Amino acid sequence: MEIGMLPISASKRGKLLAAGYTTLHSIATTSITHLATDIEVSESEALEILNFATRNSALERSSGSNTNVIQGGQTAWDMLNEERFSSSITTSCADLDNILGGGINCKEVTEIGGVPGIGKTQIGIQLAVNVQIPLDYGGLGGKAIYIDTEGSFMVERVLQIAEACIEDMSEYSHHFHKDNQAYGVKMHPNSILENIFYFRVCSYTEQIALVNYLDKFVTEHKDVKIIIIDSVTFHFRQDFEDMALRTRLLGEMSLKLMKLAKNFSLAVVMLNQVTTKHVEGSFQLTLALGDSWSHSCTNRIILYWNGDERHAYIDKSPSLKSASAPYSVTSRGIRNSTSSSKRIKMV
Amino acid sequence: MAPLNSLEKEYPLIDSNFQIFCASHAIYSVEDFLLHDIDALFTSATNCSSSQKLNQGIHQLLSIIDALHPPLLNGLQLVEDARQNKHVFSTGCQGIDALIGGGLRVGQLTELVGPSSSGKTQVCLMSASTVAKHNCSVIYLDTGNSFSPQRVAHFIGQSSDYVSGNQADRRLLQNVLDRIICYPVFDVYQMFDLLHQLKNNLRSKIGKSDRHVKLLIVDSISSLITPILRGSGPQGHTLMISAGFLLKQLAHEHNITVLVTNHVVGGDDGNSKPALGESWKSVPHVRLLLSRDCGGKVCNMSIIKHPAMASGRTATSVRLFV
Repeated sequence: MEIGMLPISASKRGKLLAAGYTTLHSIATTSITHLATDIEVSESEALEILNFATRNSALERSSGSNTNVIQGGQTAWDMLNEERFSSSITTSCADLDNILGGGINCKEVTEIGGVPGIGKTQIGIQLAVNVQIPLDYGGLGGKAIYIDTEGSFMVERVLQIAEACIEDMSEYSHHFHKDNQAYGVKMHPNSILENIFYFRVCSYTEQIALVNYLDKFVTEHKDVKIIIIDSVTFHFRQDFEDMALRTRLLGEMSLKLMKLAKNFSLAVVMLNQVTTKHVEGSFQLTLALGDSWSHSCTNRIILYWNGDERHAYIDKSPSLKSASAPYSVTSRGIRNSTSSSKRIKMV
Repeated sequence: MAPLNSLEKEYPLIDSNFQIFCASHAIYSVEDFLLHDIDALFTSATNCSSSQKLNQGIHQLLSIIDALHPPLLNGLQLVEDARQNKHVFSTGCQGIDALIGGGLRVGQLTELVGPSSSGKTQVCLMSASTVAKHNCSVIYLDTGNSFSPQRVAHFIGQSSDYVSGNQADRRLLQNVLDRIICYPVFDVYQMFDLLHQLKNNLRSKIGKSDRHVKLLIVDSISSLITPILRGSGPQGHTLMISAGFLLKQLAHEHNITVLVTNHVVGGDDGNSKPALGESWKSVPHVRLLLSRDCGGKVCNMSIIKHPAMASGRTATSVRLFV
């Protein structure tokens, strides 16, 4: 049934079928007035349906061109060359950056999950500050969108991390441009705070509405380079009676985030909570939101405690090796772990 | 097909006289015509005036219908077609090839099912690189931004810092990578658009022998279908089955191998089962289940369904991360 493939409402589809239109070709060959009277809709709605149907037939007629590539695709060679120039957002921890291949990549959706208190929000805030590092210092010079669902965003902490970041940058410029004294850092912590767009959502409908709105927002603010959602689970865990609805909503939200990441070349970071799963007689800690959600990210990093140290482990990635790295949360933000074992453990 | 009155423009035999005659038998569209008893129609046509024109009209309709269905083939023609066109493509991993009887067969829809991080995308990337190395085109529909050209370059055998390689190596790599085309798809309707365009392109290019598309990968089809399944009404199911049908039609008519990936959900008794439900089970020709031991480097693959191999056979694939 080719009519089923048109993105129109169920009632219009029913009317089309009742009037005898079962293929796209049959709709494409009628006129607007004919269609409108046959299925009793307004002329503008008939025009809309006609446009959907003729799109396909127009492609049929224009397929005599020489292009092998259908609209919208890219060859792997072009993508490989593009990857060389795409930058990543540093996490300020060299070990973590190493296992991530430079940092959090743009055009990808990364999920970071862990037990409470492991430092997820700290990583989120650090990334929101680090994305603003200017291009001269190896950063992206972009802005950040921070979507807060739990209320754990503390502005004083952001100020602290921003000041520490600026101090690090001026130290770096001191080291490498010792002769050029005029190379001072022109950033002020307030300007870093200004470039973080903060949204507070209080229910799952608000969260979904915001993700739908982000497309328009990012079109207006083209220099946004990272979207952090802290945490993506919170509103979907409490009292959701209809699990099927939850799966559908989450699936759609993840597709929209993937589309945002790809179309605007930005990084999307989702912070997730943990839950227990009964596997082969024992209880294991896994990320929340179920099996279907585990496929909605490109990369997944799991944070865990190893003795007294915080570690990050790459659980899923199409191109990175599974490895874990230690990191620590200091008053200046996320930094390298100060333990004696400085080597990255390859799993 | 359209209501009868819209056929009048192209086929003047189906004029208003004929339509009034059909209306008297409650026939308004071609479907009604097919459901009606043709012999009864012929006899009542001979009883009317202008019976010759009416007879011609009925014959005209029958010939229109005949022109629309695909050709009927006998067994010998099918065997010839299988021998000439339906080859087997290696996936790039010997263990997997041995498990599924040589590799991915042209004309079949193969499904990879598995929990997260069990190696589904890796198998897809490896198959894409192997097929591209053999001078054939690959179309990769990516829903999760997980197509990694670096990984594909790795599989093709060059090192990841290809810049330092010599010119000949680079050109070779470029030739192979140019045959793999990746489309980011985030919407089931977008996928349908793309597949229809592909079908039209292939139909109009019959006879051109270079750069034939031989492998179509949809990674993953479950993330496109899950948001619309079990919503209000059976629309989601219709789209899922239509998608499966369209993929199988592309595979058979244009001699392509189709590979799709699916995820698992928790079943009633705690075991995981493939997503997309019972209706999807019969759609793919070959279903393979992947699993990875927690934190291990070895992935296991077993057959759930295969037209030629016994199900339940397992293989342990070699370490995927070198």
